[in-house]
Amino acid sequence: MRNKRKNAARLALLNAAFILLCLVTLVPVLYALSISFSGQGTALSGSLSFLPKDPTLENYRAILFDKPFLRWLKNSLILSAGTIALAMLCAVPMAYAASRWRFAGRRGMLRLLLVLNAFPQVLSMFALFRVLRLTNTLNTHGGLVVIYAGSMCVFAIWNMKGYFDTIPKEIEEASKIDGAGDLQMIVRIVLPLARPAIIVTCVMVLITVWNEYLFATTFLLDSQSYSLAGGLYQLQSNDYSRNWSVFTAASMLASLPLLLIFFKIQKYMVSGLTAGGVKE
Amino acid sequence: MKQKLRWKPWLYCVPALLLILIVIAFPIVYTGWISLTNMNLYHWADYQVIGLDNYVRALFKFDSGFLSALATTLVWTVFNMVIQIGAGFFIALGLNAPGLKLSRVYKTLLMVPWAVPAYISILLWRVGMFNTEFGILNKFLSVLGFDKVDFLASNAIAFISCMALNLWMALPFMISTIDGALQSVDTSLYESATLDGTGFWVRTWSITVPAVRPIIAPAAVMTTFITFKQFDIIYLLTQQRGYMTGATLNTVITYAHQNAFASNNYGLSSAVSMLLFVVIILFSILTNRSLRED
Repeated sequence: MRNKRKNAARLALLNAAFILLCLVTLVPVLYALSISFSGQGTALSGSLSFLPKDPTLENYRAILFDKPFLRWLKNSLILSAGTIALAMLCAVPMAYAASRWRFAGRRGMLRLLLVLNAFPQVLSMFALFRVLRLTNTLNTHGGLVVIYAGSMCVFAIWNMKGYFDTIPKEIEEASKIDGAGDLQMIVRIVLPLARPAIIVTCVMVLITVWNEYLFATTFLLDSQSYSLAGGLYQLQSNDYSRNWSVFTAASMLASLPLLLIFFKIQKYMVSGLTAGGVKE
Repeated sequence: MKQKLRWKPWLYCVPALLLILIVIAFPIVYTGWISLTNMNLYHWADYQVIGLDNYVRALFKFDSGFLSALATTLVWTVFNMVIQIGAGFFIALGLNAPGLKLSRVYKTLLMVPWAVPAYISILLWRVGMFNTEFGILNKFLSVLGFDKVDFLASNAIAFISCMALNLWMALPFMISTIDGALQSVDTSLYESATLDGTGFWVRTWSITVPAVRPIIAPAAVMTTFITFKQFDIIYLLTQQRGYMTGATLNTVITYAHQNAFASNNYGLSSAVSMLLFVVIILFSILTNRSLRED
């Protein structure tokens, strides 16, 4: 009996601790959410309330119609789709080859890719700027897509290879007897089987592109062609004090799709993220 | 047939390798080349090869700032990782406490920071938390009757602010990884230990920790690299163009970036980049070896 009561007290304490922890964790998000629904003056007022005083959609109207938000959204979608297509088109065949065939130089090449990938992307910016200028692709979405795809390629190869390794060869051999060619077999048999890995890889690429602001604002010179991340970055860097409440509204809108996708695929994320990293 | 198979795998690799050659390999080679020259604002087009001078300057002249940036980076990485793994472990342990009915709800709520895009989190914290006029921390302080604090103004407090934000952003991944590992621990081990009458701490230390360690290790190593290479937090909080906050906090990577894009000292910046590259490679070889022995 006493043990039971002690246990209940312990659980109550644990619950209290977790409620406090969740509240502290959510403060920045809730605060921004409340600002996004508040009128102009509230952000500066001394009140600590998390409920907007006179709720208004003005900030959302301002970001959607006074700023090129929808244009940025369109650009983000174009950049994401282009990057996913290019990265997967390059990575899947290589991942397949590295998983299925043992050829000279295979191991060394896979290792080398990991080594090259250790170079921090931020520090390549200057060299990449020169590449883009040389090929006349500065200020184009195409140039940015190539760069994004290249920087995600090694991750995609390792991630997909790890999954292909787990698909038994016998399944493919059966379809070979049916007379299907290599390419046909990959498209019809291997890719459908590898769907979970493909989804995780695509989502990781999507998240990276969706969140990238530094290359976007450096390589695109015209703010009309910015992605969402670039546009939001610029919004807060010119005079954040005037734009703050509009910025919070923009943040909520830009985060929402990712939030939904994230909670949809979260169970794959942990295993997917660590699978490629240190194996082999 | 045999002949065909020799070049076929490489054919499959060509598109990816071409892409990697342009986007990843070329910048490294180019950076290596620039690191041997005196390219800077005054020698923009007429730069010359000056050998290893940039490396000498970075490594042996203390006023270059590289060594202090390296020290900051190491302190940053160690502090963040220790707190992250420690806090992550205890939070995950709490989530797995028997009888905690709402644990799923707590877990979902605790994952929110992970789902918010990183740059948005940082920019929201920059104004919404740390700012002297708009920040909720300062509003809180003034309600309590304290003076306002500029959380990004000097190095020590900016370091702590950046670390708080990094923990906020990174803990969900750690909690989720450790939580997954904890659920894979064989519960019969606990039962026999409880029968033996061992206390919570002894049980945790001698059963739980050894059981989850090999599962957590790869994630911890990966996070260590990410923490070491962290750029966005320090850059966006303290050194945005036109909004330098007064803190001169630099990790190696923001140091290299600042030298290239703020002071246009491309030679030195490239040398630092190459040094950083070597450090990361050495570190990954080391950790890879110890992971395999585990």
